[in-house]
Amino acid sequence: MMTPMDSTAKSHALVVRGLRKTVPVGFRRKQIEILKGVDLAVRHGDVFGLLGPNGAGKTTTVKIVVGLMRPTAGAVELGVDGAGETGYLPENPYFYEYLSGREFLNLCGRLFALERQHRLERVGELLRDVGLEAAADTHLRKYSKGMLQRIGIAQALINDPKLVLLDEPMTGLDPVGRVEVKRIIESLRDCGKTVLFNSHILSDVGELCSHIAIMTAGKVVWDGSVDEALGASNGGLEQFFMDVVSS
Amino acid sequence: MSRALAIAVNTFRETIRDRILGVIVVFALLMIVGSLWLASISLGQEGRMMKDFGLVAVSLFGLIVAVFVAASLVHKEVEKRTVYVIFSKPVGRAQFIFAKFVGLAATLACVLAGMGLFLFFADWAVSKAPSAMILAATALIYLELLVVVAVTIVLSTMTSAILASVLGITVFVAGQLSRQALSLTSLGHSPVLKGLSWFVYVLIPNLNAVDVKPSVVGELAPDWSQVAAWSGYLVAYAVLALLLASWLFSRKEF
Repeated sequence: MMTPMDSTAKSHALVVRGLRKTVPVGFRRKQIEILKGVDLAVRHGDVFGLLGPNGAGKTTTVKIVVGLMRPTAGAVELGVDGAGETGYLPENPYFYEYLSGREFLNLCGRLFALERQHRLERVGELLRDVGLEAAADTHLRKYSKGMLQRIGIAQALINDPKLVLLDEPMTGLDPVGRVEVKRIIESLRDCGKTVLFNSHILSDVGELCSHIAIMTAGKVVWDGSVDEALGASNGGLEQFFMDVVSS
Repeated sequence: MSRALAIAVNTFRETIRDRILGVIVVFALLMIVGSLWLASISLGQEGRMMKDFGLVAVSLFGLIVAVFVAASLVHKEVEKRTVYVIFSKPVGRAQFIFAKFVGLAATLACVLAGMGLFLFFADWAVSKAPSAMILAATALIYLELLVVVAVTIVLSTMTSAILASVLGITVFVAGQLSRQALSLTSLGHSPVLKGLSWFVYVLIPNLNAVDVKPSVVGELAPDWSQVAAWSGYLVAYAVLALLLASWLFSRKEF
């Protein structure tokens, strides 16, 4: 499923070709095709927004890229070194609530087999970067939604990944939480990381992304730069999105 | 290896911090204390009653911990979607299953060691002589429970946590009785019953083979070479069960 990239596409951190996914639904296990040939190409250093209405297949696409689901057909090619150089924040993340933020990040570091000294330094660094130093030793069950989202981003960055996949990182956050997450994404962009994120909040996408792809009904129906999208519509990104989705 | 160890340590931490576990252990200790009263009303059989009742308590409460924790061990990770975080990192499915097992095995070791030592000292106080057989019997109960944990993990990858718990307890009970059932049906004339009991005997782990409780109360001297051979069989059974669980789990999508 995840294969190394061929030489023609080395400039990309991620290429998805003809991705299809069929899932059985209901008692009679009727086969429903939720991805109908998704094609995506995310260049190194891009902040890439994957947009689309609910049920468009965004989360499924990301899950296949990460390896949580298997595609029925198609391929995912990574321009980075597999899971070792990829970070992932799931949608509505849930973490081990009996662990403190520090313990949780430490566990994630151990899953990447990071050497102890480096791991401890990295955990401290990330807690500072996401503004959770004061709550580092508090159990995750006591974290607010915004704090969970930030610790979720921190765990996605523990291995200093080149490709960061964030599934709905702003969903359910209050304005302060959204600003904090946006700052983190901006700092990732400034560090030259490739970021792909799903979002419904188009103003954030317009602010953060260099490129976008719009999915609907299991397919990418438009992809290009944010400037192209803005140039094609007088009503801003929101109007452009509505035009593409309804066309 | 360090990844598996991290998951195992985390599982140990998760299960040992569970308040339910504390409640179960307190109940088990109360039941062992209750056996002191039972011993006091058993004229001339104080030590025997103490050991017998105490080991049943160790076995019963150990089973409750083993089955209910094992049934939810993998299930909870899938339901609460913590597997998303684990499997987006370089962690294999088999590595995960074996590590979860090791983590729970460590918790179970602490629980059984606590109950076994408590019974050992309580019995010493009553019988005025230490009985190392109590510790040996507790160790073998631990082995039986490890097999039940492995089988319950397999079941939990296929069905709900509740059903896996019920089936796990059924396996434990059937594992205690399968040998006797085979012996009894071999005396009868029904080929169907004979075939069925033989099938159950082969399929279900023969847990009774390492049960040395009768030896603890002085009924029989244990044949340690037989116990060692059957222990090897149970270890192999648990490993095979975990391999099956890993295979079933590797087919899952999240």
